[in-house]
Amino acid sequence: MIQVVPENHQTTRTDPVAVEEAIIAVGDFSLWYGDFQALYDISVTFPKNQVTALIGASGCGKSTLLRCINRMNDLIPSVRVDGSISYEGVDLYSLAVDPVEVRRRVGMVFQKPNPFPKTIYENVAFGPRLNGFRGNLDGLVEKSLRGAALWDEVWDKLRQSGLGLSGGQQQRLCIARAMATEPDVILMDEPTSALDPIATDRIEELIHEIKKEYTVIIVTHNMQQAGRVSDRTAFMHLGVLIEEGPTDQIFTKPKHEMTERYISGHFG
Amino acid sequence: MNTSARQSSGSAVETRLLLGDREHTKLVARKRRGAAFRMVTFIPVVLAVILILALLADVTLNSISWQVVEPRGSGQTFAWVEGFRGFGTWGRVVRLELAAQGLSAQEVEALFADSDELRKFRARNRVELMWSANGQPWRWVVANSRDRREEDYGLFTGLRNRSALLEGLEEGQNLYLNPWLDLSFFRKNASRTPIMAGLVSALFGTLWVIGLVILISLPVAVGTAIYLEEYAPDNTYTRFLEVNLRNLAGVPSIVYGILGLSVFVRLARIGPTVLAAALTLSLLILPVVVIAAREAIRAVPDSLRQASYGLGATRWQTVSRVVLPNAVNGIVTGMILAVARAIGETAPLLLIGAAAFVPRLPDGPLSTYTVIPIQIFSWISENDPEFQHVASAGIITLLGVLFLLYAFAFVVRRRFERHW
Repeated sequence: MIQVVPENHQTTRTDPVAVEEAIIAVGDFSLWYGDFQALYDISVTFPKNQVTALIGASGCGKSTLLRCINRMNDLIPSVRVDGSISYEGVDLYSLAVDPVEVRRRVGMVFQKPNPFPKTIYENVAFGPRLNGFRGNLDGLVEKSLRGAALWDEVWDKLRQSGLGLSGGQQQRLCIARAMATEPDVILMDEPTSALDPIATDRIEELIHEIKKEYTVIIVTHNMQQAGRVSDRTAFMHLGVLIEEGPTDQIFTKPKHEMTERYISGHFG
Repeated sequence: MNTSARQSSGSAVETRLLLGDREHTKLVARKRRGAAFRMVTFIPVVLAVILILALLADVTLNSISWQVVEPRGSGQTFAWVEGFRGFGTWGRVVRLELAAQGLSAQEVEALFADSDELRKFRARNRVELMWSANGQPWRWVVANSRDRREEDYGLFTGLRNRSALLEGLEEGQNLYLNPWLDLSFFRKNASRTPIMAGLVSALFGTLWVIGLVILISLPVAVGTAIYLEEYAPDNTYTRFLEVNLRNLAGVPSIVYGILGLSVFVRLARIGPTVLAAALTLSLLILPVVVIAAREAIRAVPDSLRQASYGLGATRWQTVSRVVLPNAVNGIVTGMILAVARAIGETAPLLLIGAAAFVPRLPDGPLSTYTVIPIQIFSWISENDPEFQHVASAGIITLLGVLFLLYAFAFVVRRRFERHW
């Protein structure tokens, strides 16, 4: 496959975020899988308590970028990175930072609902227990399940298997599980792509709700979804961040020709 | 109008679906070929089942025999209700026998009070329940090691000639139908007399050896599997290890026997003991258990690991809280199947010095021992044809133990089955 990468590309920025309100700032970040370069000098900031959507065609590196923010890519042996990602001013890739601690602060929700084959209660309590949580675990589980709008549906079957829930409920259980470690940022990697429209709707409502307390970064293939849930949108293509800005501007007045073509459905 | 439209479209479908004569002939031929092929694949299954049933029937028949015996004792037999007293059966039947020999009640109680005399008596006499004695069913007999066994017939031969046998009995002879595999078989120790020989020392030897095998091989195998699946980098060294592991699983067991003899028995000076046997058998089954454990660990979906890491679990927390609990089913099943193989192993244990004649129970990892297959092997090698019945009883026991293990593995598989 021929990689068409614009030489010395400058990301187009409309209304850039002031550095002070950004919780995560990515600076000149590149990533290689072995010899293959998947991300090229990405620079972007994610503002606090807002929803940012990452959009782009398959294989453009949006999931890779997302997984770099909580250092999940460390688990792939051949990965090499360059540049910085800072979280509240601390470079996540500096040697003094423990990736395990990063993942406790930056939660993640995956494409396919992946509850553990344990009870609903144990699923939510998994994260707190890792740190040897000493406190009101029942209260934390309830708070997390309420936060994920699941409490009313499962309060009477906390001791039943999480696998007995429907797909949409399982995904909300995974969100509750991520909330239980009390992170500041929640990363979502196409969280609704395995769900039906009604379940998708509930998750989108939920994303609206939780941004009061959390910063959300969501990867999505679905442009309407990006338009509905996000405050800001970043468009990526072949490992390069093409354009980033407030969602309504990206969707109505994209600055870059490629963004316009992608949004109007010419490729991807 | 609506109806006619449906009819016409219906007939159009029919003309496409209905076969002409030529196509129909083809279809019939295809179905016939399919049926023939199904038979070809079915016949081996039937053959295998028939062979297994034939083996079981042969061994079972061989464990029952008609015997013409000239007893040393009173020659009397006692009805089941007369002798059965639960745990007190032995004393009750022996008292009946001694009374029949003409001892007074005082003399009998004197014998029971003298522990030395009683031990001597026990060593020479066994209480056996015969299925039939002189034509009467369910009779207690006190078998003495110096009883003279005149003749020995198979179950069916004896049944056919039963009346002739009964009539041909001389004075002082008894005709027994002896089930060699009965409860007393599991209480008797090794002996040179077939009727006195039992499996107890081999049974306990097997329990000791297998218990140690599990203790040794389970942690090593699970540790190796975890390392190879979750920690090992994918490099030449790891691949070399994997290839070796698969080859080791195919090495003949006698080779492990030679290894065990030179390393454990001689070099480490453990001697021909339970521990040496357990170490050798552990080496023998380790590759199989490691491969099974790796398969089980690999079967745990990666999405669960991702979820665990995503919540801030360390690698060890992920392994111990997510991977192992979900792999335990496969690991236990693989372990049980490997242990079943180890239980039946004879060749390596012969090499490393399992004793054929062990008249006492093993009392620790460093005691001499025998195991069920070795005991069977030594019985089969005996001259006295009566030992063939004892060996058959041993074989049935061994098969029974293996069947119980397989059943346990099946239950475990069912019990811990996971659905993702």
